Amino acid sequence: MDQIVILAAEGNPLLPNPWEILVTGAGFAVLLYIVIKYVAPAFEKIYTQRVEAIEGGLAKAETAQAEANAALEEYKQQLVDSRAEANRIREEARAEGAQILADLKEQAAAESARITAQAHVQIEAERQAATVALRAEVGTLAADLASRIVGESLADNALSSRVVDRFLADLEASDSAGATT
Amino acid sequence: MEISGSLNAIGYGLSAIGGAIGVGLVFYAYITGVARQPEAQRVLQPIAFLGLAFTEALAILGLVLAFILG
Amino acid sequence: MIALALPAATTGEGFVPPTTDELHLPDVLPWAADYGTGVGKQMILVLLSVVIIAWFFSKAAKKQALVPSKLQLVGEMGYGLVRDSIGKDIIGQRDFLKFVPLLFTVFFFVLVNNIYGAIPLIQLPSFSHPGSAYVLAGIIYVLWITIGIRKHGIGYFKMVVVPSGVPWPLLIILIPIEIISNFLVRPITHSLRLFATMMAGHLIVLLAGSGIEYLLVLQDNIFLQATSVLVLVGGVAMYMLEALIMVIQAYVFTLLTAIYIQGALADEH
Repeated sequence: MDQIVILAAEGNPLLPNPWEILVTGAGFAVLLYIVIKYVAPAFEKIYTQRVEAIEGGLAKAETAQAEANAALEEYKQQLVDSRAEANRIREEARAEGAQILADLKEQAAAESARITAQAHVQIEAERQAATVALRAEVGTLAADLASRIVGESLADNALSSRVVDRFLADLEASDSAGATT
Repeated sequence: MEISGSLNAIGYGLSAIGGAIGVGLVFYAYITGVARQPEAQRVLQPIAFLGLAFTEALAILGLVLAFILG
Repeated sequence: MIALALPAATTGEGFVPPTTDELHLPDVLPWAADYGTGVGKQMILVLLSVVIIAWFFSKAAKKQALVPSKLQLVGEMGYGLVRDSIGKDIIGQRDFLKFVPLLFTVFFFVLVNNIYGAIPLIQLPSFSHPGSAYVLAGIIYVLWITIGIRKHGIGYFKMVVVPSGVPWPLLIILIPIEIISNFLVRPITHSLRLFATMMAGHLIVLLAGSGIEYLLVLQDNIFLQATSVLVLVGGVAMYMLEALIMVIQAYVFTLLTAIYIQGALADEH
C-alpha cells in the first residue's frame, strides 16, 4: 500500500485525477441528457417518418395494384359478358334467320299452292267454258250430222237408227261426265 | 554493456503474448464461421466480442500489474 | 543496432524516451493547481467534446427533412450505425430502443475524444487519462447491474454467478471465477482497454516525434540525421494505425456496453 502511494506521487499513469473523473462524469451526464431530451427523439422521429413514408408508399402501390387488378377483372368480366352477348345475339339471329327462311318457305309454298289452285280453277273454268261452248255447238253439230246421216243413208234404216242411238248415248255419257267434273 | 530498465515491461510483454494468441484465435473462429455462414454474423458478432473481452482481460491485467508492482 | 550505437556517437546525453508524465500538460489555471485540481487541456477537451457532439447532432437533427441534406445524412448515418448495427443487432428487437440514446452518447463521446489524438495541435486523446475511462466504464458498470436487478430482482446475482446445468463440485471452482470475471474483470478491462490503447497510441506518436527530433536536430553525423526519415515513415504509419484504432476502440467500447446490457436483460445466463 505504501508502495502504491509512492508510485502515485511519482505519477503512476493508472491513478486517476479525481477532478478528471468529475469533469468527465459531468460532461457525459450532460451529453446524455441532451441526447435523451433532444437528439434521439428527433432522429427517431425522422426514422419513423421515413419508415411511414416508405410503408405508405408501399400501401399506396398495393392499393393501386389492387385497383388495377379489379379493373382488369372487371374488364375480363365485361369481355366474357360481351362475348356471351354476342353469342346470344348470333344465336338469336340464326334462329330468326331460320324462322324467316321457314316463313318464306311456307309463304312460297302457300303462294305456289295458291297459284296452282288458281291455275286449276282457271283450267276448270276454261274447260267449263269449252264444255258450254261445245254443248252449244253440239246441237247444231248433231243436227248437221243427223241431217247428213238421214239425208245420205236412209236406205239402211236399221243401221242409221243404231248410229243415232249410239251417238246419243255417247253424248249422254259425255254430258253426264262433263257435269260431274 | 549494461542493460537497465524495468523488468515490468518484459513481464507485460510476456503477458501480452497469451492475449494476442487468444484474440487471434477468437477472430479466426469468428471469420471462419462468418465465411461459412454469412447469415450467422449477427449471432456470432456479440459472442466474438465477448470472447475478445475475456481474452484481452489477461493482457490488460498484465498491464495493470506492470504499473502497480514497482 | 542504431539505438545501441547512439550513445557512443554523441558527446552529450543519450536518447531519453518520453514518459507518461508528458501526457499531463501544465494546468491551464495555475492558481487552481494549489488545490490539486489539475484542470488541464484534457478536461477542456472533454467539455469541448460535449459541446461539439451536442451542437453537431442538434444541427443535423433540426430540419428533419424526409430527403436529408448532407449534414443530416451524416448525422443519420451515425445514429443509424449505433441504432441498428450495435443496438438492434445485439440488444435485440424487443427493448433496444430504450438504450439507443445511451449507446449513441457513449459511442460519439468516446469517438470524438479519441479522434482528438489524430488532430494535429490537439493531439491528446482524452481517454489517455485514466480517470475519464474509469468513470465512463463505472457508469456503465453500475447501469447494467441496475438493469439486471430491476429486471430479475435480487436473484440476478445468483443467475449471473451460478451457471446452470453444472454438477455441484464444479460450482466450487466456477462460482469464484464467474464472480471475478463478471464483477471485477469486466469493468477493469472495459475501462483499461480504452485507456491503454489511447495512451499507447499517444505515446508511440510522441516517441516517434521525439526520436525524429533527437536524430535530426541533436546529431552531428549526416548519416544519422538521414535515418530520421525512417523514423518519420514509421511514425506516420503508426499515426495512421492509431487513427484506425481510435475508431475501432470507440466501436468496441460501445459494443461491449451493448453486450453487457444485453446480458443483464437476457432471460438465462
